[in-house]
Amino acid sequence: MNQILEVKNVTKYYGNGSIVTKALDGISFSVEEEDFTAIMGASGSGKSTLLNVIATIDRVSAGNILVEGRNLADMKEEHLSEFRRDKLGFIFQEYNLLDTLTIGENITLPLNLKRVDAKNTAAELSRVAEALGVGDQVDKFPYELSGGQRQRAACARAIITNPALILADEPTGALDSANSKNLMKTFVQMNQSFGSTILMVTHDAAVGSYAKRVLFLKDGKIWSEILRGERTRQDMYQEILSVMSALGGDTDVC
Amino acid sequence: MFARLAFRNVKRQIGNYMIYFLTVTLTVALMFAVNNLIFSSELKRFSDMNQSLKDGLIVMSMFIALIVSFVLGYATSFMLKLRKREFGTYLTMGMTRKNILFIFVLETMIMSVAALIIGIFLGLFIYQGIMAVFANLLEIDFEFSAYSSGGLLFTIALVCIMFLLASVTSAIYLKRVSIYNLIHGEKKVEKGVRYPALWQMVSILSFAGLILCLYYFNDGLDLAYTNVDRSSREIFGSLAGAAVCLVLFHIGLARSAVHFFMRNKKFCCRGTNTFTIRQLSGKLSSNSVIIGILAFLIGFAVILVNVTFVQKVSERVGLDKSYPFDINAAVGRENKQAISIPDGIRIIEKYQKIKTRIEYQIYDSGSDYFYGFTPWSGKGYEGITDAYMKESDYNILMEALGRERIECKDGFYLLAASPHIAQFDFSKAVLEQEGKEYHYLGIIEDVPFRFWGYFIILVPDRLVSSMDVESDCVSIDLEKGSFDVRSMQDELSYVYDQTGTDDFAYFRSDFDIKEYARVSRNETSAVLVVGAIYMAVIFVFLAMAVLALKTLAGLSEDKRKYEVLFRLGTSERQQEKTLFYQIFSFFFLPFALPLLLSIPTGWFCVRIMRMTGLGHLKEIYFNTGMIAVVLTAVYVLYFFTTYLISKRNTVYRI
Repeated sequence: MNQILEVKNVTKYYGNGSIVTKALDGISFSVEEEDFTAIMGASGSGKSTLLNVIATIDRVSAGNILVEGRNLADMKEEHLSEFRRDKLGFIFQEYNLLDTLTIGENITLPLNLKRVDAKNTAAELSRVAEALGVGDQVDKFPYELSGGQRQRAACARAIITNPALILADEPTGALDSANSKNLMKTFVQMNQSFGSTILMVTHDAAVGSYAKRVLFLKDGKIWSEILRGERTRQDMYQEILSVMSALGGDTDVC
Repeated sequence: MFARLAFRNVKRQIGNYMIYFLTVTLTVALMFAVNNLIFSSELKRFSDMNQSLKDGLIVMSMFIALIVSFVLGYATSFMLKLRKREFGTYLTMGMTRKNILFIFVLETMIMSVAALIIGIFLGLFIYQGIMAVFANLLEIDFEFSAYSSGGLLFTIALVCIMFLLASVTSAIYLKRVSIYNLIHGEKKVEKGVRYPALWQMVSILSFAGLILCLYYFNDGLDLAYTNVDRSSREIFGSLAGAAVCLVLFHIGLARSAVHFFMRNKKFCCRGTNTFTIRQLSGKLSSNSVIIGILAFLIGFAVILVNVTFVQKVSERVGLDKSYPFDINAAVGRENKQAISIPDGIRIIEKYQKIKTRIEYQIYDSGSDYFYGFTPWSGKGYEGITDAYMKESDYNILMEALGRERIECKDGFYLLAASPHIAQFDFSKAVLEQEGKEYHYLGIIEDVPFRFWGYFIILVPDRLVSSMDVESDCVSIDLEKGSFDVRSMQDELSYVYDQTGTDDFAYFRSDFDIKEYARVSRNETSAVLVVGAIYMAVIFVFLAMAVLALKTLAGLSEDKRKYEVLFRLGTSERQQEKTLFYQIFSFFFLPFALPLLLSIPTGWFCVRIMRMTGLGHLKEIYFNTGMIAVVLTAVYVLYFFTTYLISKRNTVYRI
């Protein structure tokens, strides 16, 4: 397997002067192609900060992040935009679909930014929308869809460019338990059928249990790591709960 | 506590209030300047007809205050909606609606008072500027003009009315809106347009209607001399029709333009094009009526200023053409009440020395033979008879003016008061005397004296021997120097009682004094020019302010959207470009066609100048161009201010 992401000794400080917060404290790990990794931890543990610096939405204070061997710290702003467009897919807690665009237009927006022609755009839209179960919703506007459908549309948008890495920030945060399960099944489908590499931040043990690997963060450091291996999802879930119990963080169950 | 909160809010919200504040300040400045003009002692001194002009300006100022207060009320409610989540939070914290209204009204009052003070300060300078323009138009020396307390009080009263109306709008909104809508209101989605094809049709038809109205306006101009009733019907009808078409065109376009672009898949696939046109879609369709009204205001401003400038130029040029001599008199022999030429000369000499004096006569054949070649004969034109002038009299006048002599030989010319006469065919007209025929030689537009009528027939001296003298005339040039022209004109005027029953008596003078005409025309046109510019500037400012406020009101929602674009890989530069297109298209739509109306407006103005034989066509084109440039400058100022504020608040960067 190729290494998609390599995080090397990343540190991130916030604030200046006498009030400085160390959000990330020398974190190192790597993610391989077709991996599905969850990052878990209590509030303030640094998981969203970690996702933001990988997403190039925020800069690191020290250390290096490499995606497909390219160091993000060496890239200029213009190249970072292209990098986000070509290599990353995003799924947010609040879906972040643009409400003035139809579902179809939302899904194809990354292709438009890449200036893919109309014919190929239509073909790609049909492929991912059908696969993720929103094929008959493409002409509707986001407000006409349920939360689960919206998040599936956001997933379709994230994978339409075949990105190297999909970043998901609390993707089930705005969904009920049934829709959360469906979305996680979609994530597994994306990972297995489309070969997507997923890095997901969540504080929900049940959601984390769908991942192949879970990294636990505490006070900006990797505190623990568990691998699913051949275990069932239920076993994974139990282990996550026990790690979180040891962590002393919250243990939401959906 | 609430007052402190209001003060703090004003400080914090200054960025959001910037366009609102700018517009109120500039409007107050202009109002203060014009209100000072209305109440100025200078205006009183300049004009003896100032009461009607003053009344007109007061009505105009109040009318504009009403429009301004409507727009500012609208703007205030926008500011209110921009901050509705904040006010919703206040309500959930236990504040009453009255408390919130108090805070908001206090904030608006602080802004209005600040705008009033700064506006009046700015107005002090603008007033001097207006007075300088005024003095220039009146052709008098500019002196520092005193400010009037009446102008100040009138401005304060108008601003208070504006503030009250704006507060009432806010109160109505706050009283009706639910807490849920305040907190979640921004999640409301602007729905797409229904029946875009229908609106596209409305747009196409109204554009065709606009062209048709311009055609009828042109036709109306053609009929101005031949069929006055139909002409005025066509001119005013086509103007009203054009106004309706202009508004409808913009409503239709605002509701269908986006649909038109959306059908082009190739265009939509490029970068953020889909995002830009979808952003515009909701905004344009929900604001289509206001866009139509703004287009009308800008179009009205363009036409108003152009027409006023043409009027000013035509007056200046027309004066020299209609008054080749300083004084011209034509006293009818049948008018026993008139001041005779010798009496008139005695009166004139009391005021100013006469340099040259040429006396001549106009003759009457008692027939309307020549009028028979025009539409001004037959039923309804009874009593109109042909007027004649001797070739020798004409040439004496021409020589005095340093112009070329005319030789009639065995023919006759037509002296035309208007170049419009040229459209009638007099080639078959023949005069006969003692068996000899005199044929038509052509039309002369170079008339050396002012006369009331369509034309005079210029004939060899022998032809008038059998005719009666209709009027005794004199053309006078005065020595240089100033004199009391109003008193001279008064003394040369008399009460004319046409029927002898006092039922149809009026004040008239048969002595036309060039200087008096110049002073009177300057006074009227000065007020008209200043009034028209004032009205146009206010309309354009308001139109731009509404567009700016509409754009800024959507900033918080746009910010979230641009953050999504950023995350999806849109660079800072591309975001800026997208935002530029989004705002530019919104600003451009109600501005483009009204500005383009400058072209037909300029063309019609030139046509009017040509029809009246006044020329100076280059000057008219220059004025039209300058008006378009100034309007574009105001547009660019507001557009870039809005764009820069939006860019600072919307474009997402690390």
